[in-house]
Amino acid sequence: MKTIFSIALGVIAAIGGFVDIGDLVFNAQAGSSVGTPALWATPVGVVGIMVFAEMSGRIVAVSKKPNFVLVKERYGRTLSTFTLAASLVLTVLTLAAELGGLGFALNYFFDVSVSFFVLVALFAVAAAIYFLPFGGIERLFGYLGLALLVYIAASIKLDPDWGEIGRGFVPETHSAAVYWYFVVGLIAAALMPYEIYFYSSGAVEEGWNPEDMTVNRTNAFVGFGLGGLISVGILVAAAQIFKPAGISPTSLGSVALLTQQPYAELGLILALIGILFAVGGATIDTAFSAAYNLAQHQGWKWGKRFKLLDEPRFTLSLAGFLLAGFAIAETGVDPVELTEYAVIFSIPVLPLTYLPILLVGNDRAVMGAHVNGPLARAMGWFYFVLICLLALAAPVLFIATNGGG
Amino acid sequence: MRGRSITLLVVAFAAASPLSGCGGPITPGELSRSIETLESTAAEGALLANDVARDRTKATFARVHARDLGDVVQHEAEKLQDAEADQGHVAAAKTNAVDLADRIGMTLGQIQTAPGSETDGRKAEAALTRLSEDAKKLADGL
Repeated sequence: MKTIFSIALGVIAAIGGFVDIGDLVFNAQAGSSVGTPALWATPVGVVGIMVFAEMSGRIVAVSKKPNFVLVKERYGRTLSTFTLAASLVLTVLTLAAELGGLGFALNYFFDVSVSFFVLVALFAVAAAIYFLPFGGIERLFGYLGLALLVYIAASIKLDPDWGEIGRGFVPETHSAAVYWYFVVGLIAAALMPYEIYFYSSGAVEEGWNPEDMTVNRTNAFVGFGLGGLISVGILVAAAQIFKPAGISPTSLGSVALLTQQPYAELGLILALIGILFAVGGATIDTAFSAAYNLAQHQGWKWGKRFKLLDEPRFTLSLAGFLLAGFAIAETGVDPVELTEYAVIFSIPVLPLTYLPILLVGNDRAVMGAHVNGPLARAMGWFYFVLICLLALAAPVLFIATNGGG
Repeated sequence: MRGRSITLLVVAFAAASPLSGCGGPITPGELSRSIETLESTAAEGALLANDVARDRTKATFARVHARDLGDVVQHEAEKLQDAEADQGHVAAAKTNAVDLADRIGMTLGQIQTAPGSETDGRKAEAALTRLSEDAKKLADGL
């Protein structure tokens, strides 16, 4: 039981990170557009985030330094300020999309108006942040978000061609730009910068030390693994239902339809609850990530582990980012499009996010006995090169495919 | 490297902007994409209507989702209505597409009005399936 509760940080970082509103729809679009041949991209992305999350958790356990402190130390003022600005813009846009998504999800239950429920969502998230302890927030949103596991059950119940699914996990060369667009998007979705900022700062919030290496590994591997399984479930279900019918999903409602097919109303309700808490978790992840990054860059006192009223600059920035996200969401911008742009355009800043983790993880002077071993070092450099390639390919593919359309 | 990425970002945003489609008559490719959206939306509406017909959904969800799908169709209809077409066959297909969009929107409106009616759900499913097929034929003909 203790182990189950100890993986909450990994679960909320993963659920909020790569099954948020944009990714839910993006996975369904990938399934409906290119089908199971794109499946291999998800584990590639998931293993990448596992490698870097484990590394960043280990760094926190040894040095007590979250990721943005590493960015500041390794890059100097100009580049760290650029990284801060880029990550804040993308994170606040994503936050806005998540709040919009919460409005849509609540409206599926009560049919009042999306705009009204965006306001309700803002108050609910603010109340959760203020009243719940950090661990309580992780458990509430992380574990209830696991209702999305219904997509795995649905994809199995739909009786897919298992041979085809097996072949989907083997990378293949393909000439269609749209195939590569979805492959790059699926890998990038797992590596969104705010996930790693939230994870490493969350490790500081939880007070990890060198005795918590097992907790860190369990969080990184199980938490992100569960998120990856849900992504696969959505893609497979969409390939079974939407692809043959020629449906290109565009909203959270389309994604919820996938579980209604095999499980009727129960499937629908489980999917909507999962969506509500996963998107709620992503809202929390993004709001905290933005405030953590700003506070760490400026050297302010930060964290939910202290009383929010005792750290006014951190608390005001957290409130300010929530309000900025709310204002953007209330313009009526399509939240799905907003996060899809955020995923694709976050890719060019990915190298700036991940390089300091790798450099510090490899630095024996900082890490001592917990320095990266040969496997972590090799995997880290492999993924860093992959991230750089993605950074070059993503905008080009976006243009070539008209956004996957 | 950074300069290049920023340039690409600017170009990408410009290319993705709705404004990038403005400034000339609609091409067969653009019209085809628009009709494919109608085809997809009608097919999704048929899937939803099937669940209404078999009492396998929640009425509130069916109503809201039918409305969302209707908004997508309405948006496409408006875009098509505003677009200019300078080739005869493109202009004819455009007119047919606007008519198709109207009919899809109307049928989705039936689900929105009676999300708990199994009889209406069956009728809407049949109509939307037919309309999706019509849209496919129209897009294939371009």
